[in-house]
Amino acid sequence: MNVAIVGCGAMGQLHAQMASNCGLRIAVCADAVKARASALAKIHGAVAVADIDAALARKDVDIVALTSPTPTHAKLIVAAAKAGKAIFCEKPITRTVAEGRTALTAVQKAGVPLFVGHVVRYFQEFEALRLQAQSGVIGHVGFIKTFRGGMCPVGSAGWFRDFAKSGGAVLDLLIHDFDWIRYAFGDIERVFCQNLMRERPTIMDYAMVTLTLKSGVIAQTIGSWAHPEGFRVKAELCGTDGMLTYDSAEAPIAVMPRQHGKKSPNTIVPSSPVDKSPYQLEWEDFIAHIGGHAPARVTPEDALAALHIAECALKSAKTGAPVTV
Amino acid sequence: MMKIGVMSFAHMHAYSYAACLNDLPKATLPAVWDDDPKRGKAAAKRFDAAYFSDLHRFLYSGLDGVIVCSENVKHRKMVEAAAKAGLWILCEKPLAVTVADARAMIAACKKAGVGLGTAFPCRFAPTLIEVHDRVRAGELGEIYAASCTNNGKFPGGWFADEKQAGGGATMDHTVHVADALRWITGKEFVKVYCEKGRLLGRDTNSDDVGSVHMEMDGGTIVSHVASWNRAKSFPTWGDVTIELIGEKGVLHVDAFSQKLDVYCDKTMRHEWASWGGNADMGLVRDFVEAVRARHAPSVTGEDGLRAVEVTEAAYRSAETGKMVSVRA
Repeated sequence: MNVAIVGCGAMGQLHAQMASNCGLRIAVCADAVKARASALAKIHGAVAVADIDAALARKDVDIVALTSPTPTHAKLIVAAAKAGKAIFCEKPITRTVAEGRTALTAVQKAGVPLFVGHVVRYFQEFEALRLQAQSGVIGHVGFIKTFRGGMCPVGSAGWFRDFAKSGGAVLDLLIHDFDWIRYAFGDIERVFCQNLMRERPTIMDYAMVTLTLKSGVIAQTIGSWAHPEGFRVKAELCGTDGMLTYDSAEAPIAVMPRQHGKKSPNTIVPSSPVDKSPYQLEWEDFIAHIGGHAPARVTPEDALAALHIAECALKSAKTGAPVTV
Repeated sequence: MMKIGVMSFAHMHAYSYAACLNDLPKATLPAVWDDDPKRGKAAAKRFDAAYFSDLHRFLYSGLDGVIVCSENVKHRKMVEAAAKAGLWILCEKPLAVTVADARAMIAACKKAGVGLGTAFPCRFAPTLIEVHDRVRAGELGEIYAASCTNNGKFPGGWFADEKQAGGGATMDHTVHVADALRWITGKEFVKVYCEKGRLLGRDTNSDDVGSVHMEMDGGTIVSHVASWNRAKSFPTWGDVTIELIGEKGVLHVDAFSQKLDVYCDKTMRHEWASWGGNADMGLVRDFVEAVRARHAPSVTGEDGLRAVEVTEAAYRSAETGKMVSVRA
């Protein structure tokens, strides 16, 4: 099967490699910035195009991978569905739930497979947490605490830092935790959220969210785009008979590059290699789904539900009141 | 030599405070009162003090001050009695189970002309003192947000009974962080939202975990976990952690993580051995000095009241499902 990568930034480069690892052929690399498309196309022996609509319509493309900024997703999903392509879309599915519903309708009408990259479901550490919790080793889980964050990302033309476009830490970052908590522990009843979304003097966001699940379980999730450097993920599950904890800072490998002639502090870069990248696992799941096997671990409805929780959180942050999901 | 009595050993911190009194060169612990005679006699014997079953005789036994470590709900009665006897008072946290009680206690001490302090040992932890000093020196610039935890193991006993404790984990484990943030930032709390529940199967008639969101004046946003979520097998009692998000940087403090990991085959346990500062000693020394100088302790009854306002607002929020004002 042939893949068109739409959006050739960091995520486009990552997913092109993952699709390629799965034996797919990268046929087209599309990006409004032609140079970016060309650079990625060169690596994979693909055609580079700047005209995204043309890329979606190409007959030699079976799968479209949407790795462009969030606000472009809705239109691209609809166009790809109309062209009859299978669709891999980075999370969030769309910028708004309303857009997401329209996109899903188009996908259903076209009868094409759609996969949204809620990759945390495929992360080995999170799957281990889920399976350990499910095993009953810590009894009944009643409280969940997560942290995910680091520097405020930039993105093409700084789109991440335009909170109207990215939705900030809640919609772009914590949506991972919303999805995973819902996946592992069930539907959310209520959301309360505080966030910063500061533009001056420094662009940063920091979001603190409490989810109350339908089961009564409480989850507090913290998301940071406010740290000067690094990226860290922490998770803690508290149960009636014990606790499960995870901290990415306890990675097995720490690399400390020596800085020559520079005043900047040395940064420790942690690394935690696994047998297979979770991004490749999600591609394998998607490919099996296209092949007519069982639904993927993440369904389009799951992606829309996670986005809905994020939207409720942003509403709560604005109003200062809890929002019923 | 300041003569300081201990009123009730219901709260386990009393044992640490009593040991501090015995260690301090300018203080003695001559008298212990407890409404549980067995507990009181044992404590008196352990700390080489006289045991009193009669409250009046204890209060008028020639003491200069008392440390109150009764069940939370009895704080008011104990403090009012000690104030009437003209004694300086250090009261275990939370100062009271209601704002009304806390106000009455402060008024009683004011009327009697005695100093009232609230036992917030975090203010004397070297780790948090450094955080306070660096924040006040402007190292982080303006503080925009804070994310905190005060987790602990389930204490059981009267802590599990809201009639005696005034609430559950949210009551027990919100005040330290609320006070520390007021002290570190110099800002007051204005709004509180709380989700809480008995979700971890602890044997309590109240909540064993609370997720608390607060707003301070100037708009600083705060999240906090107040819990008894630590497993029995967890290597230490719990934690106080604060992450501060400032204009100029981020600061994370895990206030009591100066520790050794102890792996003991004799008990088959893994535990932490602390080697950090003794915050309780700083707290008790400050109180003894206040008694001697006849001025208020550094951490006052008003500080205790401000923290009680936050917990009361948290329970009010959980009851109404709304974000509520701290000053009702």
